[in-house]
Amino acid sequence: MPAFDADHTTVSTWPLLWETLRAQRRNLLIGTMIGLAWSVGKVASPVLIRFGIDRGIRDDEMLWLWAGLIAFAGLFAGFFTAFRRFYAFREARWTETRLRERLFGHIMSLHIGYHDRAQTGQLMSRSSSDLNQIQMFVVMIPITLSNLAMISAVTVILLITDWQLALLAFASLPLIQVLGSRFSRAIHPAVLAVQAEQAELATVVEESVGGVRVIKGFGAERVQAEKLRTEADDIRRESIKAARIRAKYLPAMELLPQVGLIAVLWFGGNQVINGDLSLGALVQFNVYVALLVWPLRMIGMTIAFAQRAAAALGRVNEVLDIASQVRNPDHPVDLPTTGGAEPAAGFGDIAFRGVTFTYPTMASETETGGPVLDGFDLDMGAGQSVAVVGATGSGKSTVVRLLVRFYDVDAGSISIDGVDIRELSLHDLRRAVGIVFEDTLLFHDTVRANIAFADPAAGAERVEQAARLAGAHDFIMGLPDAYDTMLGERGFSLSGGQRQRIAIARAILADPRILVLDDATSAVDPSKEHEIRDAMATVMAGRTTIVIAHRPGTVALADTVVLLDHGRVIARGRHDELLATEPRYRDVLAAMEQSDDEERRDLSDDVEATIGGD
Amino acid sequence: MFRMGAVTDDDKLDKEATRQVLRRAIGMAKPFRRTIFAALCFVLMSTLGLLLGPVIVRYGIDSGIDMKDTTTLRNAVIAYIVVVALAYLAARQQYIFINRAGEGFLRALRVRTFDHIQRQSLGFFDRYQSGVLISRMTADIESMAELVQWGLLQFVAAVFLIGLSLILMLSLSWQLTIAALLVMPVIIIASRKFQRDSNAAYLEVRERVGQNLSELQEGIAGVRVVQAYAQEKEQTRQFVASNRSLYQSHVHSIRVSTWYFGLVEALGIFSTGLAIGIGGWLVGRGDVTVGTVVAFVLLLAQLFEPVQQLSQLYNTVQSSAASLDKLFTILDTEPDIQGGSEELPERADLIVDGVGFTYPSTDTPVLRDVTISVADGERLALVGPTGAGKSTVAKLMARLYDPTEGTISFGGIDLRDATLGSLRERVVVVPQEGFLFGGSIADNVRIARADATDDELREALDAIGALDRFDAFEDGIDTEVRERGSRLSAGERQLVSLARAALVDPAVLVLDEATSSLDPGTEVIVEQALDRLMIGRTTIVVAHRLSTIQHADRIAVIDAGLLAELGTHDELVEIGGRYAALASAWAQSLPS
Repeated sequence: MPAFDADHTTVSTWPLLWETLRAQRRNLLIGTMIGLAWSVGKVASPVLIRFGIDRGIRDDEMLWLWAGLIAFAGLFAGFFTAFRRFYAFREARWTETRLRERLFGHIMSLHIGYHDRAQTGQLMSRSSSDLNQIQMFVVMIPITLSNLAMISAVTVILLITDWQLALLAFASLPLIQVLGSRFSRAIHPAVLAVQAEQAELATVVEESVGGVRVIKGFGAERVQAEKLRTEADDIRRESIKAARIRAKYLPAMELLPQVGLIAVLWFGGNQVINGDLSLGALVQFNVYVALLVWPLRMIGMTIAFAQRAAAALGRVNEVLDIASQVRNPDHPVDLPTTGGAEPAAGFGDIAFRGVTFTYPTMASETETGGPVLDGFDLDMGAGQSVAVVGATGSGKSTVVRLLVRFYDVDAGSISIDGVDIRELSLHDLRRAVGIVFEDTLLFHDTVRANIAFADPAAGAERVEQAARLAGAHDFIMGLPDAYDTMLGERGFSLSGGQRQRIAIARAILADPRILVLDDATSAVDPSKEHEIRDAMATVMAGRTTIVIAHRPGTVALADTVVLLDHGRVIARGRHDELLATEPRYRDVLAAMEQSDDEERRDLSDDVEATIGGD
Repeated sequence: MFRMGAVTDDDKLDKEATRQVLRRAIGMAKPFRRTIFAALCFVLMSTLGLLLGPVIVRYGIDSGIDMKDTTTLRNAVIAYIVVVALAYLAARQQYIFINRAGEGFLRALRVRTFDHIQRQSLGFFDRYQSGVLISRMTADIESMAELVQWGLLQFVAAVFLIGLSLILMLSLSWQLTIAALLVMPVIIIASRKFQRDSNAAYLEVRERVGQNLSELQEGIAGVRVVQAYAQEKEQTRQFVASNRSLYQSHVHSIRVSTWYFGLVEALGIFSTGLAIGIGGWLVGRGDVTVGTVVAFVLLLAQLFEPVQQLSQLYNTVQSSAASLDKLFTILDTEPDIQGGSEELPERADLIVDGVGFTYPSTDTPVLRDVTISVADGERLALVGPTGAGKSTVAKLMARLYDPTEGTISFGGIDLRDATLGSLRERVVVVPQEGFLFGGSIADNVRIARADATDDELREALDAIGALDRFDAFEDGIDTEVRERGSRLSAGERQLVSLARAALVDPAVLVLDEATSSLDPGTEVIVEQALDRLMIGRTTIVVAHRLSTIQHADRIAVIDAGLLAELGTHDELVEIGGRYAALASAWAQSLPS
């Protein structure tokens, strides 16, 4: 993954894991202890089998006692193996769960400049597949620790029983481990190659589906079919390559223990014939060798998992290490209030002073843009409303983004009621300013929760009041479950105008001292535009409001208009004054009207496209 | 257990459906039957090798060690070495053959599904979201790879191992077999319960993973709103709630499965105890030898792992079956536009006769009784309010859809009777925006006619006046356009799109005029290219600009699915109907 903010990244992978695991040390320890109990049962059974054969069968002594003990050892080991597994998996999931929460909280707090550049898909994979790899490693911790205990115990027992035979039996086992890690190293690039080919096939499919009209129009199905065949062949080729690697290592790893068994049979068999070793001991060796196969293979796996987890942790850490560039002040100042029932009444002055701002350039962009705002000044008294008008790229929307500190100004200052916004806590600032965004985002939740977004504890009455003010109450009552109707991607889909009214209700409920309307009518069916405008007018009454106007009709809502060009205010006045005196204002309005027509046409085209395609 | 895949709602297939899907898949695997047969032989060999081990040990003990016969023991050891070596070779081959068959199967599935999707009409692409089609071709097929790569192998090997072990054990001693397998009923019952519970838990986990991922995605997508309303804490709280319920479902899934692994391990050792107890008793009675008992002990150690594998594999098999089922749904959709057998003439009139059209899965007709005859070489503009159906008329003329009523014919031949090949040569649609594929500019133009030579490509580009522009690039027309043509400007993409049409050199050109404006410089070039392209061809333009309409021979006004007016600009202005109103509104709105 390319680092978004390389200068903020420090590699401190293991401390993160250590810190996480330390919080869970108790349960991990319990898991390991249980694992040790398991290994006792597991190690005991071959010894018991040996006595069963030697004493029980051959000497005909206490046969049933030995058989019973073996059975008991089995139940004992089984019981603890289940528990070990339970603890290991549960703790691993807990690690994953907590890391994911931490990551989410962090992502939510990161400055918007970061989000402009971050790809959702990458952040998603940080908190799903990367955390999953970490989880897979944590599972192995208690399991590997108890496996190691078992391996050591078995080694000691066999060495005591017959050290020469033990060395012979074990000679092949380290090879399994070596093969295991070699296999991991060899298969990993092969798997990546397969994935790369799969991605190429996906590209062909994507463009074939996306460009279906071109393909159908020219009957070019064959061309794409050929491309797909090539990619499908590539996938097959790479997959078979990977299979060859598996074919080379996996059977070898499976059969290597047999080499130990053969050695034991030959040398041990001769010893039994010479009377140096009991038959039971021979079988015991066999069973032990078989017993060690899995734990040894798992150690190889653990090493591979650890490597992958380390890489995943590094990527997760890269995100966690980024500090938000928009910070809370150390000693936040409070906004002035009147106290009483409406503490913010009469407040809401805004002053932009010589504000200059340039968007940080993205790595992918070759050309660097100049400043978006360049010495921008604007004073607004409490309760005033201002429409910001300007051509595309004049910096209209940036004004708002700076006001809520999505970004910090490069030079100049912004203050609300005399307080520099950088001295306010982010929470206070953002609760003081309510924004209705141009593109309304509704969450997958009820209508009620979407309106009460700013204050989830708001009662039904307040929600309804806000909805009424926004002119949304009536249509909400017509929804299948009224205020409890689920919205969002998988929920009930509302029209553009309905979404806007929900967004306005959301802002009303927040009851901010300053309201920002980033032209709420732009995504609305023209016939419904006046309804939104009515709702906007209601909300604006008596509240400091900035309207970012994209449509001529919206401009009329505000007391005054400021005309923005190349990042500064070039004219300010009432709509009719400017229309009469300012030719540049007329140009911008005319352009707006034209693009407005086009927008509407696009909008209806969209409607048609969703029915019939275009 | 570790899997975390794309989540959809329809991952639940019942047993019967699973069985049907698998049966069909086996049918599709027929071309690979030889490879599969070879693979099975190798699996059989390597499994036998694994099982012969204990038998050889038995022989070594009974005839070698017990008889104090070193030669026999040596022979046993040699036999063992040979068996292991053969088993290794067979095991290698089994991987290769199974994968060859499996990957071959997947390749065939990819190609077949893709070809089938490509045969579908546009109506199909309207019905299916592109994301769904893409995930059928990628995630759904890939989810089967796991099964193909080792699931199948494990499955077959496990079945062989269990079957052969039983045969072997019975041949050694039936009494001991019964004794050792006393625990089998418990294992079988437990496996069934495990299968059921863990499968349910697995599906639950998948669902929660899906919910969690969409919460996450929503949080990231909505971060601006969240921050604007200072709701980071609340959002995190909600995410934590969803995350905890995911955790709980993980824990539940661990809980319902973990006892099973304990039980299998316990019973494995327990049955060894039984074998020794009863075996010892039988040895005492002289019914079996010590070597037999040892062989049993070793065989039992190998028997329980495959049982465990089988029940775990069930989940993999089931989710693969669910993926296959989704693919079959697509493969079972018959394409609704298929070519006829007649060749269209080089040039002719295009006649729309009493055409009505209703989009599938809707009730209201978009077009009703539209009749227009377009003479060879005529330029017709389709005008009307949005949603009136003018784009639909254009699409029907190119047979991107079939009319639900009436006919459209070229030179007297119903378009439905024409071969698709000749239809695509006569009628070409130029879409609003130039869609580019991966590859070079030349590759992109060649989409229109795969057999075109380089000279023909250059001629086509030259015909629309775009050759010089692209030749000025460093690699000329071999310049890679990059992803979705991002190397080129919007206007240049449009030029490529027009060059495609020029390469086909059709009799009829159907244009959907672009609504989004290009930068003024390229706009002129694109318009000139368009003008050159239209010369000498029948042209149907879905018009958005007055200038385009004024250049048309005749204008058809479509309103509310009906042909409202048809005539020349002057005629229609004369009538003083809808077109006249539209034209005057247009003229006024133009900034002077």
